[in-house]
Amino acid sequence: MFGLRLFFIGIVATAIAGGGFYVMKLRSDNAILKSNQIKLESAVAEQQQLIENQKKDFEDILAANQKMNELVSVLKKDLDDLDKRFNKKNRDVGKLAIAKTKVIEKITNNGSKNANRCIEIASGSPLTEKEKNATKKSEINPECPSIANPNYVPY
Amino acid sequence: MPRAQLNLEKPTPLQMEQLQWIIITSENADEVFKKLEEQGIDPVLWGLTDKDFELLAKNFARIRNQMKITNDLLDKYKEYYEGDSEKLDDGDSK
Repeated sequence: MFGLRLFFIGIVATAIAGGGFYVMKLRSDNAILKSNQIKLESAVAEQQQLIENQKKDFEDILAANQKMNELVSVLKKDLDDLDKRFNKKNRDVGKLAIAKTKVIEKITNNGSKNANRCIEIASGSPLTEKEKNATKKSEINPECPSIANPNYVPY
Repeated sequence: MPRAQLNLEKPTPLQMEQLQWIIITSENADEVFKKLEEQGIDPVLWGLTDKDFELLAKNFARIRNQMKITNDLLDKYKEYYEGDSEKLDDGDSK
């Protein structure tokens, strides 16, 4: 009878000890899971930030490409306009220079002065207020309005 | 560790010298050379035909366009690679 009681007490004590160990293991697992969860959330946040940065970089690259394409296009127009000035309606600058030597000389020297200014601007010289505010044909630098007169809209 | 920024200074913008074009025709040539002598300038001129003058003007415009494109390209690269740090610097100073 005493032996049987001792046997049951042993079983109960073992069950209590086993339960205790099980609870401790659960707590330990829970702590590991929480730590992993924090790492995962941090990794997800980093990935989201990376994706955001990549998206912004992509937008910046597109915008820069667009700006450069626009610049190439307006500069080409300046070059085409120069060609027109020489050859518009079969114009012959040589014959004009023979007929109106002084006038063409003056136009040539003004054009040369304007072209020099265009080079200065292209090399990084800041625009003057007069150049920035030019909106009329009579106010612009006709050699390179696209870079010298940002507020001029051809009409 | 990010690389140190290059931060090279941009080249100083050019300041061009103004030059004087003189148009000589068979009719005014004597007058032009006489005027040069009167002004104490050697009576000699480098000549271009009207067609070559046109080509010179176009070459000049092409060089100008190329300079502008290269300069803007440099600005865009600087803006892209150093833009964020500049914004940060601005933020710090505020």
